[in-house]
Amino acid sequence: MKPKWIAIGSPLALLAIALILVVPAYSYLPMGTGSGATFTDSTWPQPPAWVINPAVSGANISGTPADVTSVMQASFATWMGAPDTHVVATFAGTSTATGPQTTENLVCFTCGGVDFSQDGTLAITLINFDGSGNIINANIMFNPNASTGGTSGQPICFTTGDSKTICPTNNSVQEDMGTVATHEIGHFFGLDHSAIVDAIMFPFAPPFLHTLSYDDVAAISLLYPDPNPAVPTGSISGKVTLNNTGVFGAHVFADSNTSANPFSGFALIRKTPIGALTFPDGSYLITGLPPDTYVVTAEPLDGPVNDPNVSWALEWGQPAVQTNFTTRWH
Amino acid sequence: MKNKIIYSTLCALISACPSFATTVIPLSVESLTAISSHVVEGRAVSSWTQWNATHTVIFTYTKFQVQRTLKGEAAATVVVRQLGGTLDGTTEKVAGVRQWKIGERALLFLRPGEIRDGSLVVTGLMQGNFLIYRGPTGEDVVSNGAPNVSAYKAGTAPITTYSGSAMRLQEMEGRIQKAVQR
Repeated sequence: MKPKWIAIGSPLALLAIALILVVPAYSYLPMGTGSGATFTDSTWPQPPAWVINPAVSGANISGTPADVTSVMQASFATWMGAPDTHVVATFAGTSTATGPQTTENLVCFTCGGVDFSQDGTLAITLINFDGSGNIINANIMFNPNASTGGTSGQPICFTTGDSKTICPTNNSVQEDMGTVATHEIGHFFGLDHSAIVDAIMFPFAPPFLHTLSYDDVAAISLLYPDPNPAVPTGSISGKVTLNNTGVFGAHVFADSNTSANPFSGFALIRKTPIGALTFPDGSYLITGLPPDTYVVTAEPLDGPVNDPNVSWALEWGQPAVQTNFTTRWH
Repeated sequence: MKNKIIYSTLCALISACPSFATTVIPLSVESLTAISSHVVEGRAVSSWTQWNATHTVIFTYTKFQVQRTLKGEAAATVVVRQLGGTLDGTTEKVAGVRQWKIGERALLFLRPGEIRDGSLVVTGLMQGNFLIYRGPTGEDVVSNGAPNVSAYKAGTAPITTYSGSAMRLQEMEGRIQKAVQR
Protein backbone atom coordinates (compact mmCIF):
# COMPACT_ATOMS: atom_id res chain seq x y z
CA MET A 1 0.00 0.00 0.00
CA LYS A 2 1.29 3.43 -0.85
CA PRO A 3 2.44 5.31 2.24
CA LYS A 4 0.47 8.38 3.16
CA TRP A 5 1.05 11.31 5.44
CA ILE A 6 -0.94 11.35 8.59
CA ALA A 7 -2.06 14.01 10.99
CA ILE A 8 -1.13 14.10 14.65
CA GLY A 9 -3.25 15.77 17.27
CA SER A 10 -1.51 17.78 20.01
CA PRO A 11 1.76 18.21 18.18
CA LEU A 12 3.98 20.08 20.65
CA ALA A 13 3.46 20.27 24.33
CA LEU A 14 4.94 21.11 27.68
CA LEU A 15 4.62 19.25 30.90
CA ALA A 16 1.20 18.10 31.99
CA ILE A 17 -0.73 19.55 29.09
CA ALA A 18 -3.41 17.26 27.77
CA LEU A 19 -4.36 18.99 24.57
CA ILE A 20 -7.07 16.74 23.28
CA LEU A 21 -9.36 14.85 25.58
CA VAL A 22 -9.83 11.43 24.13
CA VAL A 23 -9.92 7.87 25.34
CA PRO A 24 -6.40 7.37 26.65
CA ALA A 25 -3.81 4.85 25.64
CA TYR A 26 -0.66 4.26 27.65
CA SER A 27 2.90 5.46 27.47
CA TYR A 28 4.26 1.94 27.34
CA LEU A 29 3.06 -1.48 26.36
CA PRO A 30 1.50 -3.21 29.32
CA MET A 31 0.27 -6.75 29.46
CA GLY A 32 -3.49 -6.85 29.73
CA THR A 33 -6.71 -6.90 27.79
CA GLY A 34 -8.34 -4.24 25.66
CA SER A 35 -12.05 -4.12 25.13
CA GLY A 36 -14.17 -1.32 23.73
CA ALA A 37 -12.47 1.84 24.92
CA THR A 38 -10.85 0.36 27.99
CA PHE A 39 -7.53 -1.37 28.54
CA THR A 40 -7.10 -3.33 31.74
CA ASP A 41 -3.53 -3.65 32.97
CA SER A 42 -2.23 -6.87 34.42
CA THR A 43 -0.26 -6.21 37.60
CA TRP A 44 0.59 -7.90 40.87
CA PRO A 45 -2.14 -6.98 43.39
CA GLN A 46 0.31 -7.65 46.22
CA PRO A 47 4.12 -7.41 46.20
CA PRO A 48 5.36 -10.81 45.08
CA ALA A 49 8.14 -12.83 46.63
CA TRP A 50 10.53 -14.70 44.38
CA VAL A 51 12.82 -17.63 44.93
CA ILE A 52 15.72 -19.00 43.00
CA ASN A 53 17.04 -22.45 42.30
CA PRO A 54 20.64 -21.35 41.91
CA ALA A 55 21.93 -24.65 40.59
CA VAL A 56 24.10 -24.25 37.52
CA SER A 57 25.55 -27.72 37.24
CA GLY A 58 24.93 -29.03 33.76
CA ALA A 59 23.95 -25.60 32.43
CA ASN A 60 26.11 -23.65 30.02
CA ILE A 61 26.66 -20.79 32.48
CA SER A 62 29.88 -19.04 33.40
CA GLY A 63 29.45 -18.53 37.12
CA THR A 64 28.52 -20.11 40.43
CA PRO A 65 25.18 -20.40 42.23
CA ALA A 66 26.18 -17.34 44.22
CA ASP A 67 26.92 -15.47 41.00
CA VAL A 68 23.55 -16.17 39.39
CA THR A 69 21.76 -15.28 42.63
CA SER A 70 23.65 -12.01 42.76
CA VAL A 71 22.76 -11.24 39.15
CA MET A 72 19.07 -11.79 39.77
CA GLN A 73 19.04 -9.77 43.00
CA ALA A 74 20.80 -6.89 41.28
CA SER A 75 18.37 -7.03 38.37
CA PHE A 76 15.32 -6.89 40.64
CA ALA A 77 16.96 -4.05 42.59
CA THR A 78 17.35 -2.06 39.38
CA TRP A 79 13.58 -1.92 38.97
CA MET A 80 12.84 -1.35 42.65
CA GLY A 81 15.27 1.54 42.75
CA ALA A 82 13.65 3.42 39.88
CA PRO A 83 12.28 6.90 40.64
CA ASP A 84 8.56 7.59 41.01
CA THR A 85 7.66 3.96 41.53
CA HIS A 86 6.92 1.77 44.47
CA VAL A 87 7.41 -1.65 42.95
CA VAL A 88 8.49 -4.38 45.29
CA ALA A 89 9.49 -8.01 44.91
CA THR A 90 10.97 -9.73 47.91
CA PHE A 91 13.76 -12.24 47.66
CA ALA A 92 12.58 -15.26 49.61
CA GLY A 93 15.65 -17.42 49.31
CA THR A 94 16.45 -20.57 47.48
CA SER A 95 14.28 -23.34 46.17
CA THR A 96 14.99 -26.87 45.13
CA ALA A 97 12.18 -26.86 42.56
CA THR A 98 13.17 -28.31 39.23
CA GLY A 99 10.29 -26.96 37.17
CA PRO A 100 7.79 -24.07 37.08
CA GLN A 101 5.77 -23.58 40.25
CA THR A 102 2.38 -22.11 41.08
CA THR A 103 3.02 -21.61 44.78
CA GLU A 104 6.26 -19.71 44.36
CA ASN A 105 7.71 -17.42 41.74
CA LEU A 106 10.75 -19.27 40.58
CA VAL A 107 13.87 -18.25 38.74
CA CYS A 108 15.69 -21.30 37.45
CA PHE A 109 18.62 -22.12 35.22
CA THR A 110 18.46 -25.91 35.14
CA CYS A 111 14.75 -26.56 35.21
CA GLY A 112 12.74 -28.91 33.04
CA GLY A 113 9.04 -29.23 32.46
CA VAL A 114 8.83 -26.69 29.67
CA ASP A 115 10.14 -28.84 26.83
CA PHE A 116 13.42 -27.03 26.41
CA SER A 117 15.72 -28.53 23.86
CA GLN A 118 18.75 -27.43 21.90
CA ASP A 119 16.53 -25.93 19.25
CA GLY A 120 17.17 -22.26 19.75
CA THR A 121 14.99 -21.19 22.67
CA LEU A 122 17.04 -19.16 25.17
CA ALA A 123 14.54 -18.33 27.90
CA ILE A 124 10.85 -18.10 28.57
CA THR A 125 8.71 -16.43 31.21
CA LEU A 126 5.47 -18.15 32.12
CA ILE A 127 2.93 -15.81 33.66
CA ASN A 128 -0.32 -16.88 35.28
CA PHE A 129 -3.29 -14.52 35.50
CA ASP A 130 -6.52 -14.82 37.45
CA GLY A 131 -9.94 -14.18 35.96
CA SER A 132 -9.58 -10.45 36.58
CA GLY A 133 -6.28 -10.24 34.78
CA ASN A 134 -4.15 -9.92 37.91
CA ILE A 135 -0.77 -11.57 37.84
CA ILE A 136 -0.81 -14.36 40.39
CA ASN A 137 2.38 -16.23 39.56
CA ALA A 138 5.40 -16.03 37.29
CA ASN A 139 8.37 -18.23 36.51
CA ILE A 140 11.51 -17.15 34.68
CA MET A 141 13.17 -20.12 33.04
CA PHE A 142 16.58 -19.91 31.37
CA ASN A 143 17.38 -22.65 28.88
CA PRO A 144 20.36 -24.43 30.43
CA ASN A 145 21.64 -25.65 27.09
CA ALA A 146 20.48 -23.26 24.43
CA SER A 147 22.12 -23.24 21.06
CA THR A 148 22.04 -21.12 17.99
CA GLY A 149 19.82 -23.75 16.42
CA GLY A 150 19.98 -26.08 13.49
CA THR A 151 21.96 -29.26 13.24
CA SER A 152 25.33 -27.53 13.55
CA GLY A 153 24.42 -24.69 15.88
CA GLN A 154 26.80 -23.19 18.43
CA PRO A 155 26.08 -23.47 22.15
CA ILE A 156 25.03 -20.28 23.96
CA CYS A 157 26.61 -19.49 27.32
CA PHE A 158 25.24 -17.06 29.92
CA THR A 159 27.97 -14.98 31.55
CA THR A 160 27.60 -13.44 35.01
CA GLY A 161 30.32 -10.79 35.25
CA ASP A 162 33.41 -9.25 33.77
CA SER A 163 35.62 -12.10 34.95
CA LYS A 164 32.99 -14.77 34.52
CA THR A 165 33.46 -15.53 30.88
CA ILE A 166 34.94 -19.02 30.88
CA CYS A 167 32.11 -21.15 29.62
CA PRO A 168 31.61 -24.83 30.38
CA THR A 169 31.07 -25.57 26.72
CA ASN A 170 33.75 -24.72 24.21
CA ASN A 171 32.99 -22.53 21.21
CA SER A 172 30.08 -20.87 22.99
CA VAL A 173 28.38 -17.66 21.96
CA GLN A 174 28.29 -15.50 25.10
CA GLU A 175 25.21 -13.75 26.44
CA ASP A 176 25.21 -11.47 29.51
CA MET A 177 22.76 -12.91 32.03
CA GLY A 178 22.06 -9.60 33.77
CA THR A 179 20.98 -7.99 30.54
CA VAL A 180 18.44 -10.71 29.89
CA ALA A 181 17.40 -10.84 33.55
CA THR A 182 16.66 -7.10 33.81
CA HIS A 183 14.46 -7.31 30.74
CA GLU A 184 12.72 -10.49 31.90
CA ILE A 185 11.93 -8.93 35.26
CA GLY A 186 10.16 -6.14 33.42
CA HIS A 187 7.87 -8.82 32.04
CA PHE A 188 7.62 -10.34 35.53
CA PHE A 189 6.14 -7.04 36.73
CA GLY A 190 3.66 -6.88 33.82
CA LEU A 191 5.43 -4.98 31.07
CA ASP A 192 5.37 -5.89 27.40
CA HIS A 193 7.97 -4.69 24.93
CA SER A 194 8.69 -1.03 24.20
CA ALA A 195 9.46 0.42 20.79
CA ILE A 196 11.93 2.94 22.29
CA VAL A 197 15.36 1.83 21.14
CA ASP A 198 17.27 2.53 24.37
CA ALA A 199 14.64 1.16 26.73
CA ILE A 200 15.46 -2.00 28.64
CA MET A 201 12.09 -3.30 27.42
CA PHE A 202 13.11 -2.82 23.80
CA PRO A 203 13.07 -6.33 22.33
CA PHE A 204 16.64 -6.06 21.07
CA ALA A 205 19.51 -4.79 23.15
CA PRO A 206 23.27 -4.40 23.11
CA PRO A 207 25.31 -7.14 24.74
CA PHE A 208 25.37 -5.34 28.09
CA LEU A 209 22.58 -3.13 29.45
CA HIS A 210 21.56 -3.10 33.11
CA THR A 211 20.07 0.39 33.52
CA LEU A 212 16.59 1.76 32.94
CA SER A 213 15.56 4.51 30.57
CA TYR A 214 13.03 7.30 31.00
CA ASP A 215 10.60 5.12 29.04
CA ASP A 216 11.05 2.21 31.46
CA VAL A 217 10.56 4.53 34.42
CA ALA A 218 7.36 5.90 32.90
CA ALA A 219 6.09 2.37 32.44
CA ILE A 220 6.85 0.95 35.86
CA SER A 221 5.81 4.11 37.69
CA LEU A 222 2.41 4.06 36.05
CA LEU A 223 1.80 0.42 36.96
CA TYR A 224 3.16 0.83 40.50
CA PRO A 225 3.17 4.55 41.29
CA ASP A 226 4.98 6.10 44.22
CA PRO A 227 2.41 8.20 46.10
CA ASN A 228 5.17 10.73 46.75
CA PRO A 229 7.12 10.82 43.49
CA ALA A 230 10.62 12.25 43.58
CA VAL A 231 10.06 13.93 40.22
CA PRO A 232 6.46 14.90 39.44
CA THR A 233 5.49 14.08 35.88
CA GLY A 234 2.79 14.96 33.39
CA SER A 235 1.31 13.67 30.18
CA ILE A 236 0.63 14.44 26.53
CA SER A 237 -2.43 13.11 24.74
CA GLY A 238 -3.77 13.32 21.24
CA LYS A 239 -5.02 11.41 18.26
CA VAL A 240 -3.37 10.03 15.13
CA THR A 241 -5.57 10.01 12.06
CA LEU A 242 -5.29 9.01 8.43
CA ASN A 243 -7.93 10.38 6.08
CA ASN A 244 -9.90 11.45 9.15
CA THR A 245 -9.91 7.94 10.55
CA GLY A 246 -8.05 6.92 13.70
CA VAL A 247 -4.85 4.91 13.19
CA PHE A 248 -4.50 1.85 15.40
CA GLY A 249 -1.09 0.88 16.77
CA ALA A 250 0.91 3.90 15.61
CA HIS A 251 4.07 4.38 17.66
CA VAL A 252 3.94 7.88 19.15
CA PHE A 253 6.82 9.14 21.25
CA ALA A 254 7.77 12.36 23.04
CA ASP A 255 11.42 13.33 22.66
CA SER A 256 13.00 16.13 24.66
CA ASN A 257 14.58 18.88 22.59
CA THR A 258 16.58 20.29 25.51
CA SER A 259 19.60 19.18 27.50
CA ALA A 260 17.62 19.06 30.72
CA ASN A 261 17.92 15.91 32.78
CA PRO A 262 15.05 15.91 35.29
CA PHE A 263 16.07 12.51 36.66
CA SER A 264 19.69 13.59 37.16
CA GLY A 265 19.41 12.70 40.83
CA PHE A 266 19.20 9.07 39.76
CA ALA A 267 22.57 8.29 38.24
CA LEU A 268 21.59 5.11 36.46
CA ILE A 269 18.52 6.42 34.64
CA ARG A 270 19.20 7.15 30.97
CA LYS A 271 17.40 9.97 29.17
CA THR A 272 15.35 8.65 26.26
CA PRO A 273 12.10 9.41 24.49
CA ILE A 274 8.94 8.05 26.09
CA GLY A 275 6.55 6.28 23.79
CA ALA A 276 3.07 4.86 23.36
CA LEU A 277 0.99 2.94 20.85
CA THR A 278 -2.38 4.30 19.81
CA PHE A 279 -5.73 2.79 20.70
CA PRO A 280 -8.07 1.43 18.03
CA ASP A 281 -9.61 4.91 17.64
CA GLY A 282 -6.18 6.49 17.09
CA SER A 283 -5.96 8.19 20.47
CA TYR A 284 -2.88 8.08 22.66
CA LEU A 285 -1.68 9.21 26.07
CA ILE A 286 2.01 9.51 26.88
CA THR A 287 2.41 9.62 30.64
CA GLY A 288 5.36 9.77 33.01
CA LEU A 289 6.88 12.81 31.30
CA PRO A 290 9.18 14.81 33.58
CA PRO A 291 9.25 18.62 33.22
CA ASP A 292 10.77 19.45 29.83
CA THR A 293 9.89 20.51 26.29
CA TYR A 294 9.06 17.77 23.82
CA VAL A 295 8.68 17.05 20.14
CA VAL A 296 5.99 14.45 19.47
CA THR A 297 6.50 12.02 16.61
CA ALA A 298 4.22 9.35 15.15
CA GLU A 299 5.72 6.53 13.14
CA PRO A 300 4.52 3.17 11.86
CA LEU A 301 5.52 0.18 13.96
CA ASP A 302 7.38 -1.37 11.05
CA GLY A 303 10.89 -1.79 12.38
CA PRO A 304 13.03 -2.29 14.28
CA VAL A 305 10.05 -3.26 16.45
CA ASN A 306 7.27 -4.82 14.42
CA ASP A 307 3.76 -5.96 15.13
CA PRO A 308 4.85 -9.53 15.89
CA ASN A 309 7.12 -8.27 18.69
CA VAL A 310 4.24 -6.99 20.77
CA SER A 311 0.83 -8.29 21.79
CA TRP A 312 -0.97 -4.99 21.34
CA ALA A 313 -3.06 -6.13 18.35
CA LEU A 314 -3.92 -9.46 19.94
CA GLU A 315 -4.94 -7.82 23.19
CA TRP A 316 -7.29 -5.52 21.31
CA GLY A 317 -8.66 -8.26 19.09
CA GLN A 318 -7.27 -6.55 16.01
CA PRO A 319 -5.61 -8.42 13.13
CA ALA A 320 -2.50 -6.17 13.19
CA VAL A 321 -1.29 -2.65 13.89
CA GLN A 322 -1.66 -0.14 11.06
CA THR A 323 1.55 0.76 9.22
CA ASN A 324 0.34 2.29 5.95
CA PHE A 325 1.66 5.78 6.66
CA THR A 326 4.94 7.64 6.99
CA THR A 327 6.59 9.27 9.96
CA ARG A 328 5.37 12.72 11.00
CA TRP A 329 6.48 14.94 13.85
CA HIS A 330 5.59 18.31 15.35
CA MET B 1 12.43 7.63 12.05
CA LYS B 2 14.92 8.76 14.66
CA ASN B 3 14.53 5.47 16.46
CA LYS B 4 15.26 3.58 13.26
CA ILE B 5 18.37 5.59 12.53
CA ILE B 6 19.67 5.06 16.05
CA TYR B 7 18.94 1.37 15.84
CA SER B 8 20.69 0.97 12.52
CA THR B 9 23.75 2.72 13.89
CA LEU B 10 23.64 0.69 17.06
CA CYS B 11 23.55 -2.63 15.31
CA ALA B 12 26.20 -1.56 12.86
CA LEU B 13 28.56 -0.83 15.73
CA ILE B 14 28.05 -3.98 17.72
CA SER B 15 28.50 -7.52 16.69
CA ALA B 16 25.23 -8.88 18.00
CA CYS B 17 22.14 -7.55 19.72
CA PRO B 18 20.76 -10.06 22.21
CA SER B 19 17.01 -10.20 22.46
CA PHE B 20 14.65 -11.02 25.24
CA ALA B 21 11.38 -12.47 26.44
CA THR B 22 10.64 -15.56 24.49
CA THR B 23 13.89 -15.66 22.62
CA VAL B 24 14.55 -18.00 19.75
CA ILE B 25 17.18 -18.69 17.16
CA PRO B 26 15.69 -18.67 13.67
CA LEU B 27 15.65 -22.15 12.15
CA SER B 28 15.50 -22.86 8.44
CA VAL B 29 12.97 -25.26 6.97
CA GLU B 30 15.84 -27.68 6.41
CA SER B 31 16.98 -27.44 10.05
CA LEU B 32 13.43 -27.82 11.30
CA THR B 33 13.05 -30.91 9.15
CA ALA B 34 16.33 -32.40 10.34
CA ILE B 35 15.61 -32.06 14.06
CA SER B 36 11.91 -33.00 13.91
CA SER B 37 10.74 -36.57 14.22
CA HIS B 38 7.49 -35.82 12.41
CA VAL B 39 6.38 -33.32 9.78
CA VAL B 40 2.66 -33.40 9.01
CA GLU B 41 -0.12 -31.35 7.52
CA GLY B 42 -3.38 -31.51 9.40
CA ARG B 43 -6.53 -29.84 10.59
CA ALA B 44 -7.27 -29.09 14.26
CA VAL B 45 -10.36 -31.06 15.27
CA SER B 46 -10.43 -30.74 19.05
CA SER B 47 -8.49 -29.28 21.97
CA TRP B 48 -8.41 -29.38 25.74
CA THR B 49 -6.34 -27.98 28.56
CA GLN B 50 -4.73 -29.93 31.32
CA TRP B 51 -2.40 -29.34 34.24
CA ASN B 52 0.85 -31.25 34.27
CA ALA B 53 1.27 -34.03 36.80
CA THR B 54 2.48 -31.66 39.51
CA HIS B 55 -0.29 -29.13 38.84
CA THR B 56 2.22 -26.40 38.08
CA VAL B 57 1.97 -25.86 34.33
CA ILE B 58 -1.09 -25.59 32.07
CA PHE B 59 -0.80 -27.32 28.72
CA THR B 60 -3.17 -27.07 25.79
CA TYR B 61 -3.53 -30.28 23.81
CA THR B 62 -4.80 -30.09 20.23
CA LYS B 63 -5.77 -33.11 18.16
CA PHE B 64 -5.01 -32.85 14.45
CA GLN B 65 -6.52 -34.97 11.74
CA VAL B 66 -3.49 -35.77 9.61
CA GLN B 67 -3.95 -34.97 5.94
CA ARG B 68 -0.40 -35.57 4.76
CA THR B 69 2.76 -36.94 6.33
CA LEU B 70 6.04 -35.53 5.06
CA LYS B 71 8.36 -37.10 7.62
CA GLY B 72 7.95 -39.89 10.15
CA GLU B 73 5.20 -42.42 10.68
CA ALA B 74 2.12 -40.52 11.73
CA ALA B 75 -1.22 -42.06 12.65
CA ALA B 76 -4.52 -40.73 11.34
CA THR B 77 -4.47 -38.22 14.18
CA VAL B 78 -1.70 -36.65 16.24
CA VAL B 79 -2.00 -34.77 19.52
CA VAL B 80 0.18 -31.70 19.93
CA ARG B 81 0.92 -30.23 23.36
CA GLN B 82 1.76 -26.56 23.92
CA LEU B 83 2.52 -24.44 26.98
CA GLY B 84 -0.28 -22.17 28.15
CA GLY B 85 -4.04 -22.08 28.25
CA THR B 86 -6.92 -21.35 30.58
CA LEU B 87 -8.07 -23.80 33.24
CA ASP B 88 -9.68 -23.54 36.68
CA GLY B 89 -9.83 -19.76 36.47
CA THR B 90 -6.14 -19.39 35.68
CA THR B 91 -4.77 -18.23 32.36
CA GLU B 92 -1.16 -19.07 31.59
CA LYS B 93 0.63 -17.21 28.83
CA VAL B 94 3.99 -17.70 27.21
CA ALA B 95 4.98 -15.08 24.67
CA GLY B 96 4.98 -16.43 21.18
CA VAL B 97 3.01 -19.60 21.79
CA ARG B 98 -0.08 -19.51 19.61
CA GLN B 99 -2.90 -21.95 20.25
CA TRP B 100 -4.95 -23.24 17.32
CA LYS B 101 -8.61 -22.69 16.66
CA ILE B 102 -10.72 -25.70 15.71
CA GLY B 103 -10.77 -26.04 11.95
CA GLU B 104 -7.43 -24.36 11.35
CA ARG B 105 -4.99 -26.12 9.07
CA ALA B 106 -1.32 -26.28 9.91
CA LEU B 107 1.94 -27.71 8.69
CA LEU B 108 3.68 -28.91 11.81
CA PHE B 109 7.28 -29.79 12.64
CA LEU B 110 7.03 -31.99 15.71
CA ARG B 111 9.21 -33.89 18.14
CA PRO B 112 8.66 -35.81 21.38
CA GLY B 113 8.55 -33.62 24.48
CA GLU B 114 9.60 -34.28 28.06
CA ILE B 115 6.22 -35.80 28.95
CA ARG B 116 5.83 -39.20 27.32
CA ASP B 117 2.06 -39.25 27.09
CA GLY B 118 1.81 -39.89 23.39
CA SER B 119 1.66 -36.23 22.49
CA LEU B 120 4.24 -34.34 20.45
CA VAL B 121 5.52 -30.79 20.85
CA VAL B 122 6.27 -28.15 18.24
CA THR B 123 9.93 -27.97 17.30
CA GLY B 124 11.54 -24.67 18.23
CA LEU B 125 8.77 -23.67 20.67
CA MET B 126 6.65 -22.06 17.96
CA GLN B 127 8.85 -21.96 14.90
CA GLY B 128 7.64 -25.32 13.65
CA ASN B 129 4.01 -24.20 13.65
CA PHE B 130 3.02 -22.99 10.17
CA LEU B 131 -0.59 -22.05 9.70
CA ILE B 132 -1.95 -22.91 6.24
CA TYR B 133 -4.25 -20.36 4.69
CA ARG B 134 -5.47 -19.37 1.26
CA GLY B 135 -3.33 -16.61 -0.25
CA PRO B 136 -4.52 -13.72 -2.39
CA THR B 137 -3.80 -15.66 -5.59
CA GLY B 138 -5.84 -18.66 -4.45
CA GLU B 139 -2.82 -20.80 -3.58
CA ASP B 140 -2.26 -22.27 -0.14
CA VAL B 141 0.32 -20.28 1.82
CA VAL B 142 2.04 -21.15 5.11
CA SER B 143 3.29 -18.80 7.81
CA ASN B 144 4.71 -19.25 11.27
CA GLY B 145 4.47 -15.63 12.38
CA ALA B 146 3.97 -15.47 16.11
CA PRO B 147 3.54 -12.55 18.47
CA ASN B 148 6.13 -11.26 20.86
CA VAL B 149 9.05 -13.25 19.62
CA SER B 150 12.53 -11.98 19.00
CA ALA B 151 15.24 -13.66 17.03
CA TYR B 152 18.94 -13.93 17.64
CA LYS B 153 21.55 -14.73 15.06
CA ALA B 154 24.97 -15.62 16.32
CA GLY B 155 28.18 -14.25 14.90
CA THR B 156 28.25 -10.97 13.09
CA ALA B 157 24.60 -10.70 12.22
CA PRO B 158 22.54 -8.38 14.44
CA ILE B 159 19.31 -9.36 16.05
CA THR B 160 16.49 -9.38 13.61
CA THR B 161 12.80 -9.33 14.26
CA TYR B 162 11.33 -12.79 14.19
CA SER B 163 8.35 -12.28 11.98
CA GLY B 164 8.28 -15.90 10.98
CA SER B 165 8.42 -17.30 7.50
CA ALA B 166 5.74 -17.20 4.86
CA MET B 167 5.82 -19.10 1.56
CA ARG B 168 3.66 -21.12 -0.76
CA LEU B 169 2.71 -24.49 0.67
CA GLN B 170 3.92 -26.23 -2.46
CA GLU B 171 7.34 -24.63 -2.10
CA MET B 172 7.50 -25.60 1.54
CA GLU B 173 6.60 -29.20 0.77
CA GLY B 174 9.32 -29.37 -1.86
CA ARG B 175 11.97 -28.10 0.54
CA ILE B 176 10.89 -30.56 3.20
CA GLN B 177 10.98 -33.50 0.78
CA LYS B 178 14.49 -32.56 -0.35
CA ALA B 179 15.63 -32.24 3.24
CA VAL B 180 14.19 -35.65 4.13
CA GLN B 181 16.03 -37.28 1.22
CA ARG B 182 19.43 -35.99 2.33
